[in-house]
Amino acid sequence: MRLAAAFVLVLTLVITAPQAQADSHLDASAGFIDGLANKAINTLTDAEITAEQRRDAFRALFREGFAVNGIARFVAGRYWRRAPEDEREEYLSLFEDVIVNTWADRFSQYSGQKFEVKGATDATPNNSSESVALVESLFFTSPTTPVRIEWRVASKGDLFKIVDVKLEGISMATTQRDEFNAVVSKSGRKLSSLIDELRRRRDR
Amino acid sequence: MGDKKLNSFSVLKVFRFTAALTLVGALAACATPPSSDDPDALAAYEEANDPFEPANRLVFSANVMVDQLALQPTAVTYRDAFPDELKPPVENFITNLFMPLSFIHSLLQGDMDRAEKAAARFFTALPTFLLADTFPNEDPVFEDGGQTLATWGFSEGPYIMLPLLGPSSFRDTLGTVGDFFIDPVGHVAGSDVSAGRPVGNVVVTRSRNVEQVRELQRTSLDYYAAVRSLYRQQRAAQIRNGASGPAQSAPTIGLDLDEPAAPKENAGTDDQKETAATN
Repeated sequence: MRLAAAFVLVLTLVITAPQAQADSHLDASAGFIDGLANKAINTLTDAEITAEQRRDAFRALFREGFAVNGIARFVAGRYWRRAPEDEREEYLSLFEDVIVNTWADRFSQYSGQKFEVKGATDATPNNSSESVALVESLFFTSPTTPVRIEWRVASKGDLFKIVDVKLEGISMATTQRDEFNAVVSKSGRKLSSLIDELRRRRDR
Repeated sequence: MGDKKLNSFSVLKVFRFTAALTLVGALAACATPPSSDDPDALAAYEEANDPFEPANRLVFSANVMVDQLALQPTAVTYRDAFPDELKPPVENFITNLFMPLSFIHSLLQGDMDRAEKAAARFFTALPTFLLADTFPNEDPVFEDGGQTLATWGFSEGPYIMLPLLGPSSFRDTLGTVGDFFIDPVGHVAGSDVSAGRPVGNVVVTRSRNVEQVRELQRTSLDYYAAVRSLYRQQRAAQIRNGASGPAQSAPTIGLDLDEPAAPKENAGTDDQKETAATN
């Protein structure tokens, strides 16, 4: 009798273990987004800090939460491969600068709108060494019509990184990639022409 | 006096003729595909799927001008000066007027569930003269000709920038023309309603994204290309009716792609990722 009970216990453990593991990366990813959003609201929306401080704080959070290099390489598209090492490095740092300049200032306009994580679904591709979760959230820019934001979170063990953000079904990474592609094909078809454009944007 | 009139008339004529000639010239000047010895450039050209790009860009700048001069000021006036308590009835009216067309297209797509939702929204709102939102907790069903053609398997076709109407594709242009004839509202209501609805819709939609558009114009490296990408993704999302998309290029961004410096021996896997991303 005891043996049978133990057997059942072991069996349920074996059966439910992979499930529990899969769920844990979903819950953890949702928690990761929630935590990051809270951190952003606490540190970036302070009216007392200067624009420079806000940018520095945003840069730190951006590096912590996003797969910055992965996103940068993805949006550079096919021109990444042929670019020499020094151009790649310059592009990566410019990409980060431009993102920071574009987004950091927006947090000064934040005035208590509610951000709510709704849950996460699994989107891990087959044969992948890392887990991917789609974290659904709502940002209430107005009380009645919230903006639907979907965060694609890749994770491996304790490492969590956002690899894409979708606003109402529109991927930021894809949009940026299409735009960069257009810039590069218009001028020179080289990563260096994109670098020139990004530098102009940063220094403006 | 008569002379002057004649003069300004002929000036106008010349102006029109030149404008038409420029337009024809631009239309004829399709983007020349890059030579086949540059596979990257060729792949980028095909991916953009915009053979009329020079003409499209010209029309786009005209559209942007109209937007800045007429549409945006109207939308801002509506947003800031129109009484807030009167906005919901106006916007509900416009939404409800779309429901008959959504109903027909849901049927054509074989989606009974959404057809029912569109019909229910329309008929329950009828007693309120279509001014009420009778299903406040539910997103209204929006279906159009382009979406129906897509579910029937029509591919998107080249990108087309329509004068005044804005971004479209070959498929969506066909759908828009079809909807003009199909839409029951156009048959039943007077011409002022069927002409007023799209105008009202555009003003209301524009009034909601004044800041976003301004921001996009300010931050994008190529505003035209950004709008093209946004339009395509938005249409794809509408066609899927909000269901999450197929495994697209985005999944190829992963943690291993995020490694700070790409070591030399990883160059091979990098290439594979790139191909996966473009296919």
